[in-house]
Amino acid sequence: MRITFYILFFCSFHLFGFNKETFTLLSFPQAELLSSNTTRIPFKLVDHLIVIEAQLLNQTGNFIIDTGSETLILNKNHFEGRNSSLKASKQTSGVLELIDNPLEKRLREFIIKDLVIQNKLSDVIDLSHIEVSKKIHLLGIIGYDILKDYEIFVDMHLNQITLTKINDKGEKLDKSVYLEKVIDSVNFKLKNHTIVIEATVNGQTLKFGLDTAAEYNQLNKTINKNALKQFFPKQRLQLIGASGQKIEVLAGKLYRVKLTESIYFGPMVTILTNLTQMNNAFGTNLDGVLGYEFFRQQRTIINYKKEKLYFVKNPLYKQ
Amino acid sequence: MTLKSLYTFTLLFVISLYSSFGQNQKGYTIENDEVVFTFHRSDYETLSHDEAGNRISFDDLTVENVVVAGEFNNWSKYNWKMTKIDKDTYQLRKPLSKFEDNFTWQFKFIINNEYWAEPTKDASNIVDAIDLNGQHLHVYNLKMYPQAYPSNNGNVRFRLRGYEDARNVIVAGSFNKWDEHSFKMYKIEKGWELKVQMKPGNYEYRFIVDGNWIEDPSNPDKVRNEFYEFNSRLNVGKYVTFLLKGYQDAKNVILSGSFNDWNENDLEMTKTNNGYWKCRLALPAGKHHYKFIVDGNWIIDPDNSVKEYDSEGNINSVCMIK
Repeated sequence: MRITFYILFFCSFHLFGFNKETFTLLSFPQAELLSSNTTRIPFKLVDHLIVIEAQLLNQTGNFIIDTGSETLILNKNHFEGRNSSLKASKQTSGVLELIDNPLEKRLREFIIKDLVIQNKLSDVIDLSHIEVSKKIHLLGIIGYDILKDYEIFVDMHLNQITLTKINDKGEKLDKSVYLEKVIDSVNFKLKNHTIVIEATVNGQTLKFGLDTAAEYNQLNKTINKNALKQFFPKQRLQLIGASGQKIEVLAGKLYRVKLTESIYFGPMVTILTNLTQMNNAFGTNLDGVLGYEFFRQQRTIINYKKEKLYFVKNPLYKQ
Repeated sequence: MTLKSLYTFTLLFVISLYSSFGQNQKGYTIENDEVVFTFHRSDYETLSHDEAGNRISFDDLTVENVVVAGEFNNWSKYNWKMTKIDKDTYQLRKPLSKFEDNFTWQFKFIINNEYWAEPTKDASNIVDAIDLNGQHLHVYNLKMYPQAYPSNNGNVRFRLRGYEDARNVIVAGSFNKWDEHSFKMYKIEKGWELKVQMKPGNYEYRFIVDGNWIEDPSNPDKVRNEFYEFNSRLNVGKYVTFLLKGYQDAKNVILSGSFNDWNENDLEMTKTNNGYWKCRLALPAGKHHYKFIVDGNWIIDPDNSVKEYDSEGNINSVCMIK
């Protein structure tokens, strides 16, 4: 039986034209409701994006789960007229036109994020370019704003997200949520809305942002040379900006990323790029961004209030 | 999820019918865990050269070597040298895992590290070649799909009845990013057909008959799309084997789960010679809860670390089909 789970969230954005006291409903038709505080929502992977089905304001469609996004972003394409003051469009944002397809979305999303930063109140944004490149009906992006009130288990083995309500101290309101063994945990720092973790690469400590919607890991060009030795480039990709300027990135594999004594990663597909712009926009000082590959290799629980990540045992395949 | 709602999804399993129609994807096949690039001399009539505008007839050139160049190796004219199989055939095998980072890859064959073998228009997996500046090169590249691909041994068979006068029928879906050209169906008696190999999962698809998009008329499982029409839905499952070690003195062991509405009699497990109880069955893609009933006692799978609470607080073992 399908159980519909509702998250009530107070609409603090002005774009709906609601008062702060009114709320709107975001519901997940495929969710399994375990209690009034806990739900599991199955996701599908669209390329490397975590996408869930949701209903909002009488529309059913897809939402991207994105810890890299500060707020809930709605697609202007489907929620038109909710923010008439919004000027952001493809033209003004200088969207990158990309020749080498795999990186397209990620860089485009950077642009979107920059827009979010520039127009903090502008949470209705034209996401039609993601719809075009991913061929999905995209209603929006679920970000930190919504996720922070829950402990979030991103489970790439069962392709589901478990959301369980936490109190101000980060304690779960439900006692019995998970049955599987937590094998390790690590603290992170929340820099604005960005999860920042420290990891070592070849013995060098680097600061990484953790982003569920980063389809490829990114590594800043300016990092320590010793750490850079563990990046093995495979191909050079050329990106063309809207104004005609070329940006070149190296795609390859990053080896020997280690979080703790027990949590380390196999080779991860990574692009070498310049993160200065992003660091400026987010007020961070990141050496890189870890995304899909991180979650693919580790079943991860995020607790924003405790600023802690927990790692759940990966099963051995037997079937 | 009840049995009924589970089976409202269409379930398709391995089909191993012989077909006289060849796979119409040119330049590669996928065999088990390997991508096999194959160059047949007869598939190509002309060659082009980066420095020269005009085409050269293939008959004017002696083939010394053939190399696969594509997005996966930065279009290197040297790196992926193929092995000569016979006078007119060259082959190169690479593990499929090398290609899983991306949904599609463009590639081409290059002769003597210099001349591009130009695919003819009849290959279904051709795509306009565009250079790094976005300019059309007026030639075609070949395109490969590592995640779903037409194959005579494919596990899913798409079939469209009727439309016998149509010239061109395509199946497009979430499994190939709604590609409007590549998955060409072939004509069969009273209709069209294509077999595709794809991973277990939930997919949406439609047919394109001479340019007109239609839902699958024979599939009742459909969902409204953003164009106020319907997409047909498909759940591709697979066979799985459940094993319970030990309990050799038990009289009977039953497998029961969300997939059969927790039926307590249906799925009797059989005792094997090597100390296991075994049950093999086909399951649709997705998450399934299950337990074993050993002589009337419900137990979770002791060898499966993945378990969850259900909404009543019971503990079940979990099996994921993907």
